Amino acid sequence: MNGAAVLTLGLDIVTTAAILFTVATGLLIIFGVMKIVNFAHGAFITLGAYAGLVASELGLSPWLGLPLAFLAGAACGALVERCVVRPLYGRPLDAILATWGLGIIIGELLTLVFGREVQFVGSPLSGTVDVLGEAYSVYRLFLVVAALIVGGGFAWLLGATRLGLATRAVIMNEDLARGLGINAGWVRFITFSLGSGLAGLAGALITPLSSVDPNMGVPWLLNAFMLVMVSGASLGALLAASVLLGGAQVVISSLASPILGGLTIVVLAALLLRVRPKGFAR
Amino acid sequence: MSAFRQLLALSSAMMLAAPAYAADPITIGIPVGLSGSNSVVAPSVVQAAQLAVDEINTKGGVLGRKLALEIADDASGAIGAQRAFDSLLFQKKVDVLISMETSAARNAGLPAVNKSKTPYIYTSFYEGKSCSPNMFVDAWVPAQQVPPIVDQFMTANKAKTFFMIGSDYSFGRGMLSFTKEYIEKKGGKVVGDEYLPMDGTDWTPIISKLRASGADALITSTAGGAPNVTLTKQLRAAGVTIPYGNLAVDEGTAKGMGADATGIYISASYVTGIDSPENKAFLAAMAAKFGADLKTPNDLSVPEYEAVYLYKAAVEKAGSLDKAKILAQLGRVSFKGPRGVVTMDKQHHASLTMYLGQVQADGSVKVAKSFPNVDPGAQCPKL
Repeated sequence: MNGAAVLTLGLDIVTTAAILFTVATGLLIIFGVMKIVNFAHGAFITLGAYAGLVASELGLSPWLGLPLAFLAGAACGALVERCVVRPLYGRPLDAILATWGLGIIIGELLTLVFGREVQFVGSPLSGTVDVLGEAYSVYRLFLVVAALIVGGGFAWLLGATRLGLATRAVIMNEDLARGLGINAGWVRFITFSLGSGLAGLAGALITPLSSVDPNMGVPWLLNAFMLVMVSGASLGALLAASVLLGGAQVVISSLASPILGGLTIVVLAALLLRVRPKGFAR
Repeated sequence: MSAFRQLLALSSAMMLAAPAYAADPITIGIPVGLSGSNSVVAPSVVQAAQLAVDEINTKGGVLGRKLALEIADDASGAIGAQRAFDSLLFQKKVDVLISMETSAARNAGLPAVNKSKTPYIYTSFYEGKSCSPNMFVDAWVPAQQVPPIVDQFMTANKAKTFFMIGSDYSFGRGMLSFTKEYIEKKGGKVVGDEYLPMDGTDWTPIISKLRASGADALITSTAGGAPNVTLTKQLRAAGVTIPYGNLAVDEGTAKGMGADATGIYISASYVTGIDSPENKAFLAAMAAKFGADLKTPNDLSVPEYEAVYLYKAAVEKAGSLDKAKILAQLGRVSFKGPRGVVTMDKQHHASLTMYLGQVQADGSVKVAKSFPNVDPGAQCPKL
């Protein structure tokens, strides 16, 4: 392997990790605060992608599609929290069933409105840029910036705001937090909306690399689920998991076969949980 | 909307079939994937069949009898196909089956076709070498689609090394293994071939390999729809500019992909830009009949249209609706349609004019070259 190939491999690893991190963050915060796995996450990703599609069909700037996708995801998430998830807080297994079914319903509704066919959104950034003499996709590099913004913004929200304080209290000990006068129901509502909004944003962020169709969120959901399972409720652990598992995926795809690469995250996550049940979380 | 129209077509077909007198209509069964993966293209296939039947009926039908359609949804898969074929062949007792289907659906339906000995014209391009005494194919097989692209790259673009990318399923792998054989036969070299699972959307490692390989040209055969689109977008984002032949893209998808599709070479037996009086008349008739509801005619719907005419010719030549006599004629008759002259005389397959097209900046496909009478090769030596 020569220098250029190693450089490309490195860039592939960093950008793949960034995409995985962005896609999984929304799932992570909902799991962290609410202890339920939101299996409608994939559908919210798809919803965000369609929001980006609508923005581009209205002739808006592709950049405007991103906040729109966040809003669409958050609004839908808020509605879902009120109507579907709230009664199921003490019943995580039922919540899995409900959100999975909900994901199917959202997918079918999107099919009804937009049709089953594959659609396309233009990229806000196109072409390549020179990285140490190797041409590399600008948009993939931008996704690293986007992941840093999402991660950084989220860390700030948790660490430096009143809402974050309340959220951390709910994560640590919900009964105690409630006893201290923290409105846990409100924290959950905000968290679920925020997590869904982030899923929508992730959907709009990945569409310039892929296509928009009613089932596009499903493969992403599986990888995000595995990453969250090994990360617990920790953002840092998610970052580590994205880099290590995503990196392993890229290396195996590049050196062996992309078919094996597709299995990497799932297999490694399962092995990791076998050896170390807490995964990357401390 | 389209479901409503199909219902309408279905019920009108049933009304036509209802009165039992000497001149019952000749019924054409169309098992097709109205739901499932083929649902995007199936309506265009039904429209093409409806136009052919209308045209033939206004000119007096076949042997003095009208044609009628029986449409059945096969859900694009094997289980649905068994049900659709059984109901068409044994309950509706259709006189002929004419349709495009997935390979899985065709294979599942063939036993019923062979049992009832009903003529079956298969109108979808496919991986080749499916043989039955009752089945004829008027669409292309790999031996017809691949050579135009490879020849173009080797002569006009002076390409010597090729890279191939595909989806990991039988059609994708089959197409590319044929392509590899053909390239090597012509003295070229395949420097890499890579596959991604069918639901995969991240082509990054493969694209990095492609760039590292330094290949002169790229040929891809992915599953239709999402994999094809994601690959093309990511290739363009990665700045890949070598000649790019796509064995799985159709005109509609190319148009939807916008600027990313510009310059892609495709090879097909039908593109809307074919400059012939037959094609112009066909396009005008389709537009007049379906107006705003028109589904753009394509490489899967036009063979359906032509197959109805091929069946008509065979029945007229046979002089009766005797299935064995019609089967004996199906491999002899010709029809000059939008794609040119089609005769299914090559071991139940057809020599076809293949068109090498290049996607333009506005999304249209310009015919760069046509290759008349491309032979399907030995598909069914035992027939």
